Amino acid sequence: MSEREHLVRGVDHAAFPTFDPAGTVQFYRDVLGFPVVHSICAAGWGPEDHPDFVHFFFDIGNDDRVAFFYYFGLPAPDVAVGKGDVYARFSDDTPEYFVRSRHLAIHVDSEEHLLEYRRRLDASAWPVRMQIRHETIESIYTHDPNGYLVEITRALRPVMPQEDLDANLTVEALVDIVGRPHHTLDDLLVRKAELIVERAEAWQDAQPAQDAREPVNAPQGSESP
Amino acid sequence: MYVLDVPENTGVAEVAARDATVKVLRRGPYVVLESDDPIVVDRRATGSRHAVWYSCVAALEGCRITQWDKDALRAEAR
Amino acid sequence: MSATQPRTVRVGLVVPSSNVTVETELPALLARLDGAAFSFHSSRMRMARVSPRELAAMNAQRERCVLELGDARPDVVLYACLVALMAAGPGEHRRVESLVAEQLAAGGSVARIRSSAGALVEALAAIPARRVALVTPYLRPLAEQVVGYLEAEGLEVVDWRALEVEDNHAVGCIQGERVMAAARSLDLRDADALVLSACVQMPSLALVDDAELALGLPVVTAATAGAYSILRALDMPLTVLGAGSLLRRDVVAAGAA
Repeated sequence: MSEREHLVRGVDHAAFPTFDPAGTVQFYRDVLGFPVVHSICAAGWGPEDHPDFVHFFFDIGNDDRVAFFYYFGLPAPDVAVGKGDVYARFSDDTPEYFVRSRHLAIHVDSEEHLLEYRRRLDASAWPVRMQIRHETIESIYTHDPNGYLVEITRALRPVMPQEDLDANLTVEALVDIVGRPHHTLDDLLVRKAELIVERAEAWQDAQPAQDAREPVNAPQGSESP
Repeated sequence: MYVLDVPENTGVAEVAARDATVKVLRRGPYVVLESDDPIVVDRRATGSRHAVWYSCVAALEGCRITQWDKDALRAEAR
Repeated sequence: MSATQPRTVRVGLVVPSSNVTVETELPALLARLDGAAFSFHSSRMRMARVSPRELAAMNAQRERCVLELGDARPDVVLYACLVALMAAGPGEHRRVESLVAEQLAAGGSVARIRSSAGALVEALAAIPARRVALVTPYLRPLAEQVVGYLEAEGLEVVDWRALEVEDNHAVGCIQGERVMAAARSLDLRDADALVLSACVQMPSLALVDDAELALGLPVVTAATAGAYSILRALDMPLTVLGAGSLLRRDVVAAGAA
């Protein structure tokens, strides 16, 4: 199967509406220290009539950007009722896991950097709400002035090649079973086993370096030159 | 039961293997736990934390999970 | 033969506030196009003196000007502040055109964007001209910046004149004979084209055809280049008479089959 060349270069911008531009600037520029790198002042000149607006961008590292739209005169939604942020509102009985499911997670390289952002947030009006750590990642979470969930995260160890394989098998298995009625995680895990049987040994053989441990019951890999 | 061979999963594979009826094989980068009897893994013995524990099973062949909670993971013949 | 409705085109112009020539020459030029009816809508950037300080202040008004023009739903916007762009450094017209285009696009406008500085470069390339001579109304340091700007675009400026008129009102009153005298004084032996006015305020439209005849080479001005760029942007024919050979390129010769 031929691969198409991966030409994209990350997040040009992830855009969100805001009704509190001052608070948003304070949070991203002043508390987190993300520089303002671009802005556009425009009106609604297209087929849809809409108000004048400002679109402003913060750098979030790697030349990636998070951007906000502020529409002049647009009334803000009522956030006193229900759950969610200024973009998506949910009823009170919407489960938390779902409300939290859409979020932006920003990467840092070290514990020192993670703690530095923790320090900045804790000294602000938007302290860290949750800090979660397990063997592979550590993250801090807060909500920005618009109610958007923001995560800052570090990897505790680098991603290993077998995780890439496993991720691809998971996705393939998911796509395979998703058309069946009442499909479950169990169906996914069963399908994944089939794919592992098909593919895992060939994948291992194709890996450049040999693992120090002698694999049990697996075919001998080719010697590296 | 397949478990991906990454550092945080080694506890699960080791604890499962302590049972003499469980054979430990490999397929590529996956540890395969094979048995004619139910496979039971005690969570506390693995030392795994929450998020890792609940994502440690990569695949199932010929068995189904009948228990997966803060105490144990149990797989039985389908 | 049924009468076809003329194509109506709205041209948005961002002009220096004291500029009167753009809004005189551009409508005069484009009115000569058959089958089209142009209307012009300006937004002004305040500037009286062409000095570095005033030029910098002028560019800061760009966003407001584009916002105002956007409301008129133009088909094309010409950023007609030529020396303001060139004084900011090489390639500046591309940067500014891109910012204006982004501002228009972000608001859903489909207007094309061009600039007088970019139009001049475009028109010279279309002739095609690599070696050019210029007449400018500017003080020498500013004229040198214009020369440098064109050279950064890959052009060779073989000769140039600076009439050294600082006040923009006065630039708008420079007599045609003075412009022509400066043109005649240029060494045009190696020139592919003459920019009779590298300025949107110095009147020169009436001089272009005669200058081509008298001097024997293609002649453009900032205004005729602007018209050229607008017509190309809108995919319209170059059938404007009396303003130099470039603008009548698409005129079918009499007697052609």
